[in-house]
Amino acid sequence: MGALMKVAGIHHAYGGRAVLRGVDMELPRGSLVGIVGENGAGKSTLLKILAGELRPDRGVVRHEGRFGYCPQQVILNDSFTVRQHLELFRTAYSLPDLRRAEEIMEALNFREYAGERVGALSGGTRQKLNLTLALIHDPDVLLLDEPYQGFDWETYVRFWQLAVQLRTSAQSVLVVSHLAYDVDRLDVLWRLKEGVLCAGAGLAS
Amino acid sequence: MSPSLARFVIATRFTLIEHVRNRFAVALVLLFVPLWISLGQFMIVDMGVSFRLWATGEILVARGNELTQISGALNAVTLIVGFAMFSVTFSSGTFDRRLAMAGYPRPQLLLAKVASLVLASAVVSLYATAVMWAYWSPRQPVLLAVSLFSAAVTYGAVGVALGTVVRRELEGIFLVVMISVIDLALQNPIASKGADTALVRLLPSYGAMQSASAAGFSHSVLLSCLGVQLVWFVGAALLSLLAFRRRTRSAVTGRVPSSTQGAPCSLPTARRPKSTTRS
Repeated sequence: MGALMKVAGIHHAYGGRAVLRGVDMELPRGSLVGIVGENGAGKSTLLKILAGELRPDRGVVRHEGRFGYCPQQVILNDSFTVRQHLELFRTAYSLPDLRRAEEIMEALNFREYAGERVGALSGGTRQKLNLTLALIHDPDVLLLDEPYQGFDWETYVRFWQLAVQLRTSAQSVLVVSHLAYDVDRLDVLWRLKEGVLCAGAGLAS
Repeated sequence: MSPSLARFVIATRFTLIEHVRNRFAVALVLLFVPLWISLGQFMIVDMGVSFRLWATGEILVARGNELTQISGALNAVTLIVGFAMFSVTFSSGTFDRRLAMAGYPRPQLLLAKVASLVLASAVVSLYATAVMWAYWSPRQPVLLAVSLFSAAVTYGAVGVALGTVVRRELEGIFLVVMISVIDLALQNPIASKGADTALVRLLPSYGAMQSASAAGFSHSVLLSCLGVQLVWFVGAALLSLLAFRRRTRSAVTGRVPSSTQGAPCSLPTARRPKSTTRS
């Protein structure tokens, strides 16, 4: 199976403080991969670079196919309803319809909020929409930064069911988290330490 | 409708929704504009005052309260449109970036902001002109509305630029207010002894103020002044364009169309840009 993403020699510094000191990794097709690390280890910086949101000082990231990116901070517009968000992103992704979005909303159990203004939603529901916007174009690679903050247990379980479905469809999911809660659910676990990735404890099969 | 036009229409519709849901700005338009103009009507003496129109050298005579209404209306429309555009740009900055990185074309996003700015400026300027017309009869009401409009769009563009570059909301609001207050206070021929000095020509709403004064109290049409205002608008719009492009830029330098899904592509390094993908 070929890699959907190859990362080589990524370096990044904020001022004089080097955060990433040569990150190399591959994301195999159809895999669930986790990156863990302490607060301030550079996980979000790495994910922003992988998503194209931040330009690295050095290094190359190669992608194959489309990707979706769910940032750690919920990025929505409080003036719009859930449905209006979906409509805007349907246009951005040039999708013919919102069938996939409806499936994801069903899976995450928040379809009944479609007509609600986002500013009035709970933190968990906002996070569900944040995640949905990264998924509605059925990306080959999904990059997730602390994706289940604010989820209740049931939604958390549904999220992982969704991730497994993606893997089954030969799509790949990269999850960044500061805690290794989900080691058993992952195919590969990396630990970001002192600016480089090392194999994390507890690799699943 | 072409896909590009459809995206522009959709973005404009959503930008207008944002404006309409900015209830504070809507309340400002409904209440602040008539309040300011009415205070000018009733609180300022209606004694005749003569002043020189700097642009033509013509000496005009106007009632003090009517001249103050023009100055107040300019103050109101610039503040409101500047604040509304700043507020929407500031609050939707990261969202716009996410949309742009997801593939929404930035020109359409920016043009939608310009379209909503033009529409909002037109509505507020017509409203302010109508309120003034209720108290007195400007010689050229259409030109008066156009003059107010030209100042409003200029400040709206300034609002977009500020909304893109400042880090805190209060900073932007303070800047919009201070620029408008200094700009218009120095041009008031009643309150400022420097209203006919060369320095005043450099102020952002000089062209609009001259044109509006001519519209109120003469039959002169000062196209050159509207031209000066247009230059201010274009300058402010270019600044906001650059700021918006910078804010919504992606480290990805291109985009792979969906039909090429599966083709290899890469994100750029700092020195070696490559093709790309979408978020």
